[in-house]
Order: sequence, then C-alpha cells, then structure tokens
Amino acid sequence: MSYLGVFLTFARNSLIRDMTFRANFIIELISSMSWMAMNLGFYTLVYRYTQNIAGWDKYEFFVFIATTMFVNSLVQAFFMPNAEELSEMVRTGGLDFALLKPIDTQFLVSLQRVNWSSLGNFLVALMLLAYAVPRIEGYQFSLAAAVLYPLYIVAGVLILYSVMITLAATSIWLGRNQSLYDFWFYITNFSRYPMEIYDGPFGKPLQWAFTFIIPILVVINVPAGIMAKPILADNPYGPWLAVFAVLATIAALAFSRWVFQKALGSYRSASS
Amino acid sequence: MSAIKIRNLQKSYRVYQKKEGLGASLAGLFRREYRTVDAVKGIDLDVEGGEFVAFLGPNGAGKTTTLKLLSGVISPSGGEATVLGHVPWRRENDYRRRFALVMGQKNQLWWDLPAQESFKLHQKIYRIDPADFARTRDELVDLLDIRRLLSQPVRELSLGERMKMELTAALLHSPEVLFLDEPTIGLDVVAQHNIQLFLKHYQKVRGITILLTSHYMKDIAALCKRVVVIARGEIVYDGSLAGIVDKFSGHKVLTVQFGGERMPGNLSRYGEVLEEVAPKARLRVDRGEIAKVLSAVLAEHAVDDVSVEDPPLEEVIAEMFARSSDGPAATDLQPVGM
Amino acid sequence: MVARVQTWWTIFRICVEERLVYRGDFALGTLMRFLPIVTQIFLWTAVFAGAGKGAIVGYSQNDIIAYYLLTTITRAFASMPGLASGFARQVREGEIKKFMIQPIDVIGFLLLARVAHKIIYYAVALGPFALVFWLCRGYFTAGWPEPTVLAAFFASLTMAFLLGFFLELTIGMISFWFLEVSSLLFVYMLFNFFCSGHMFPLEILPQPWQGIVEFLPLKYLAYYPAAIFLGKVPPDELVRGLMIQAGWVLFFVIACRTALNAGYHRYSGYGG
Repeated sequence: MSYLGVFLTFARNSLIRDMTFRANFIIELISSMSWMAMNLGFYTLVYRYTQNIAGWDKYEFFVFIATTMFVNSLVQAFFMPNAEELSEMVRTGGLDFALLKPIDTQFLVSLQRVNWSSLGNFLVALMLLAYAVPRIEGYQFSLAAAVLYPLYIVAGVLILYSVMITLAATSIWLGRNQSLYDFWFYITNFSRYPMEIYDGPFGKPLQWAFTFIIPILVVINVPAGIMAKPILADNPYGPWLAVFAVLATIAALAFSRWVFQKALGSYRSASS
Repeated sequence: MSAIKIRNLQKSYRVYQKKEGLGASLAGLFRREYRTVDAVKGIDLDVEGGEFVAFLGPNGAGKTTTLKLLSGVISPSGGEATVLGHVPWRRENDYRRRFALVMGQKNQLWWDLPAQESFKLHQKIYRIDPADFARTRDELVDLLDIRRLLSQPVRELSLGERMKMELTAALLHSPEVLFLDEPTIGLDVVAQHNIQLFLKHYQKVRGITILLTSHYMKDIAALCKRVVVIARGEIVYDGSLAGIVDKFSGHKVLTVQFGGERMPGNLSRYGEVLEEVAPKARLRVDRGEIAKVLSAVLAEHAVDDVSVEDPPLEEVIAEMFARSSDGPAATDLQPVGM
Repeated sequence: MVARVQTWWTIFRICVEERLVYRGDFALGTLMRFLPIVTQIFLWTAVFAGAGKGAIVGYSQNDIIAYYLLTTITRAFASMPGLASGFARQVREGEIKKFMIQPIDVIGFLLLARVAHKIIYYAVALGPFALVFWLCRGYFTAGWPEPTVLAAFFASLTMAFLLGFFLELTIGMISFWFLEVSSLLFVYMLFNFFCSGHMFPLEILPQPWQGIVEFLPLKYLAYYPAAIFLGKVPPDELVRGLMIQAGWVLFFVIACRTALNAGYHRYSGYGG
C-alpha cells in the first residue's frame, strides 16, 4: 500500500505542476485531441469508398479507434513522459538519485510523472464509443463484453508499457538515443490496425510475429474485438486469443523487468 | 565499530574516445575506440561513527566515484566496502533508509514545484512516520531559516536557497551517514558560511558520520578534523589538515626585517627569495636548514625582526596536486570524472 | 570572395561532423521510416478488397502504394525537423545575438547547416531507400516516367526542400514576437500532415476541402512531386504548377527575410 501512496503523491505533484502551466496544459489537451480527430477524419473519408476494411464495417472500426484512443491516452498519461525522461536522467546523472531511494527503481522511474493532459483523449474515446456501439448493425449488449473490455484495455496498456520500458532501458546502454523513441512509435504503429489486414504470404508471418513474439497486435485487437463483435467471433485466432493475451501480458512484464535490471547493472558498472 | 570500512576498493570503466576531424568522425560511424580509465585504484579507509571526514583532491581524482560507490549507485570492479554493516552495492532498502547523498551540482527536487511537495514525496518514499516527518522538517527548516521559501517553486530559488532545500530533503529521514559532494560549489561567501555553520551544528548535535568532498579549503578547515587526500585514484594522505603541511612541504618561510640603512645583497645564498622589499625580505628555506640559516642571518646582519612560518595551506596543496598529477592522466580524467 | 567561400566551407564541414556524432540514430531511423508504409500497404489492400473496385479517385491499389512510397522521398526533402523550434529556442535563450554580432547571415548559415544535414542523411539513407524501392518496384506499374516528367519531378523535389526550409523558418521567426511557439508549431505540423498529402492522396478529400487545399502551399511539400511522378499532373499543366511552386518558394524567401529584419529590429529595440 505504501507504493500506492507514493504513486498518488506522484500524480498529485504532476497535477500541481500542470496547473502552474495552465495555458500549456490546455494547448496539449487540444492538440492531442485534434490529432485523433484527424485520424478519425481519415477513416471517415476511406469509408466513403468502401463498406468494410478486413471485416470491420464503419462503426465497428470506430470502436476499434476508440479502443486505440483509450490505450494510447493511458500510455501517454502514465508512461510516456517517464520513458522520455529516462534517457535524459541517464545523461544528466539524475538516475543516480533514483538509485538511492529505498523503493523499487523501475517503479520510481516508470511512474514519477503523470501527464494529465493526455487523459483528454480518454473522454473523447468514451464519447466515440458511446456514439459508435449502438450504430453497429445487429449489436447485442453482453455483460461479459462490458466487464472484459476495460480489463483487456489495462492488459494492452501493460504490454505497451513493457515494450516502451524495454526500449527506454536500452537507452541506458547506448547513452542518448532519440531513434529509440521513433522505434517505439513505428513498432506500435502496427498495433493500430485490425490484425486481419495482415494477410497474404507476407502478412501472415507478420501477423504471427506481432502476436506471438512481440505481442503488440493483441493490445487493441483483443479489447476491440470483445466490444465490437461477439467476443472475437471474426478473429483469425478466435476467442482463444483472449486467453493468450493474459499470458502475453505477464510474459511481457516479466521480460521488460529483466531487461530493465540488466540495463541498470550496466549503468552501474559503466558510469563513473 | 567503524561506520565505514573500505578495503582495496577499485573502479574502472571504459570511455569512448572521440577523434577530431571529419575523416575520423566518419570512421567513428563504424568503429569506436575505447579506453579504460581507472578511477579508483585500491582504496583502504576506516571511518568511525560520528567522524566528519573531508575528501580532498583535484578534479577526476576519484572522490565522486568513491562517494557513488559508497552510496551503491555504481558497483566496484574489485575490493570490498561496508557502510553501517551493509555492502552498499547490494542496495538493500534498509541501507538506503540510513544514509543520504547530496550533490552540489545536481538537484533532486522537482524543479517546477515548491520544495514542500518534494518533501512530502520523500516522506512517502522513505516511509517516514508523519509525526516524525513534521518534527524533523520543522527543525531543519528553522535551522536553515527557509520557512518562508517552502511554497515557492524550486526554480525561483537562488542557488544557496536551493542547496538548503536539498540538504533538508536529504536529512528528512534522519540518515546516520551523509555523503556530501561539493555542497557549496558556486555559492557566495555568505551562503557558504551559512551551510558550513549548519553542517557543523547538525553533525555535532546528531553525531552522524559525514564524508565531504570540496574544493574550498575554508569548508574543510571549518568542518573537518580529518582529511583524506585522493589523487589519481589512490589515497596519498590521511590525517589532520595541518599535518599536510608537515608532510608535503619541505620548506619554511623565513621573514626578516633588517635594521640599518641598506639591505644586504646576495640574499639567495640563504634560500629562494620570495619577496624583497626594503627593509623586509621573505625567503623560502629547506626545513632541515632552517636552524642553520637563521643563526647565520642573525650573526651576519643587523636584524630588527624575524619570523619563521609554514607556507600557506592552499599553496602546499596546489603544489601537492601538481606533483601527483605529473603526466597526462589528471587532465584527461577531468571530463569523465564528474 | 575566396575568403567567403572558405568560411562557408568550414561551416559546412563542422555541420557535417556534428551530424555524424549521432551515428546510430541515422541508420536505424532511416529503416524505421519505411515501417508505416508496410502497414499502409496492408491497410489499402484491405480497403480495395472491401470496396471491390479497381480504382478509388483514379488511383489503383498499386498507385496508392506507389504514392505513399514517393511521399517518403518528398518528405525526406521537405521535412525540417527541429528548424523552427531550434530557431525559437535561440531567440528565447538569446543565442541569436551571436548572429547579430558575427559577420554571418543567419538564414544562410541555417540553410547550409540543413543542406549538410540532408546530404549526410541521403548518403546514409540511399542504401535503405534503394533497397525498399527495388523491392517495391512492382507497385510502379507504369515504369519510369518520361525524361521531361522526371526532370519536373526533381525540380519539384528541390523546390519542396526550399519551400519546406523557408516556410518553417518563417514560422520560427514568429518567436521574435511570441516567445512560445511550440503549440503553434504543433498545429502547423498537424495541418501539414493532413493537407500536404502525407496521410493520403489529396484527391480523396471531398469538396470544398479539395478546393481549399489547392490554394495552400502545403501540397507542394508532399503531394505535388509524387503526383508528377505518377503522371497525375497533365503535361500541359506541369509548367504552370511548377511556376506556382516556385512562386511560393519566392514568397517565403521574401517573407523569411522580411521577418528576420523586422525581428532583429524589434529584438535590438528591446535590448535583448
């Protein structure tokens, strides 16, 4: 419970900080929302020319986008500022202080900043979800879907966190390295599409690798498939994918933890 | 029992060697050359509980590296050390709650927030009992006279005020051992003096063990009875500040005020002439020769006044550092030793 | 004259060296740049499969993918990462004074630095670019365009670089009047992404948006060179289009210079 207390203090301090730069806060809020609006605009345009994309019709796809927004806003709010900060901490030596604290270093480094403005998209996602779900053809409400959806969003956030902290930890090895951040952007870019689009002789291996090796395809596809369709009915892997997603989350967290510890070890023996 | 016990502690690491010029930069794209730097080369040291010890040494001598090793931030390449019975680089939370590290050049408080918010965070992280926390904080805040600054964002504080906040944050959990790395760097004389007074008082009242590195001789003279001199990763001296002069300076300064009309010529036969302004002269004389020279001077000239002194401490230390850093290593180390 | 050439040559060399320090960023970053194309290929394959039509707004499936590939080239020319924000930072931190004291023209200096940056980038990126385009040669169903069209393409690319440079630097110069331009830059970036054709071929936009975009300079940063290459610009309109692009370049060269003079005037008026 003391970790919860520390986290709440992080969140509170971050909010105080955000509120002292209020204009900045509002601008960030608006700009991240307009980014998603453009994304939505793009798919609205595309759906003028087609009825469905890889088995997802318009409103199902909007649920998919809403899910993307939920996951992204949570990752950006809680983890992104910290991962960006990590390489900066290595450069300036701020990591030294983190290593002194009687608290788990990965916890401290992963959560010390909360970017509250990113949660604006969370609200937009809620509205989009409320708009799109009733418009899905033949939609039937299911309690199971309503319960599982938020749980799998959290699982998805944890998988992305694992990828991010793994990449950020490697920056400890390499020193300052901006392209790691780009790498994160490009890798997670794959997760933002329905997994069914990865088809054909090239697509299938890609789909398989991003599901079972780096499990980023389950991040959005599983919760979106649970909410938009009767529990992953159309998914190439079927409802079993939901079981796999739980295992993948645990494995990803364990792996990232291992990499982080290794990186800290190298920091300790490499720096002066 | 010793609070700090160090045996043959060593630390070496690799640095990337950047070459100059366009061609070399291009080659650096594909192949990089590294070089091993021995920052700490086998240090032995015992510090008793309640001692206030200064680390003295030129830039890159290994002072900061030693402090980082003792706080467990980095792991050694060889040797052993215990602080309060803990091996620092095992990084047990029990150990982390018993010491603190303050670095004059880095700040660990949240830049954009009032310091009191960072203090609250410390309370949570170190799991300080709320009543203890309030008491300790009030005590420190009053001692350092910073109560009115508590609700001001840290970025708006002066350097001296910020250092006081850093010290408060570091002492909130009442550490038994305190590592101070250049705590007064960049501060003006008044602020330096304030920090010194505080440290002296606090150490006396609490009886904690403090290791301090500093460039300012005044810090050290004011605070520490014991001085450990580190140069090129090794301990070259361990004892009192005054003892440095005895050990490292083979000279005394002889000041003579001559009587009569004229200054005697050819003073250099007694020793190196440092200053010659009639009717006074300052001479540098070998320690072993001083008795002989003094009696010769007194016998051969009319003398109004005479004094024999040790050379100034700063001079001795500068000389000692210059001697210990013959060769290129000392300047080389500068950028990586921070 | 010789002395001047020597000065510029020295500046150029230092800039090249500076860029080379971040070696890892380069090679990795370039390959990463193509990853979003992979997802675009799959997405559009799924869109065309869903639409069941051979062409959308005059683009076949292959054309669309060729279009995205070509925009990576136009982007490599026209994008100016850090230019405006870097300039704004120099103004904010007073570094700009150094250009007011030294006998160096700041616009010339920045242009040269950018050219150095781009040349190093192309030198490293040529390999990955050639590889990707060779692998994807199948999407260019029309083969190589006519020599005149190719010449027009390169002319348009070069102007895209100049337009990107002067346009973004002009925006950076707004910092003489408003110190904090990062939010403005973000809005520009979003707008640019949507309206320049990075996100999709501009023909997809419905009226009246298409008409509006037609009158903006942004389309010359991504869409226009790619459209020339793919033969989407009728030959009789080619010269007129290039003239308009050149006109925009000229406009921003003048705007940039005017803004700098006015900015210097204001800056010295305030006493720095």
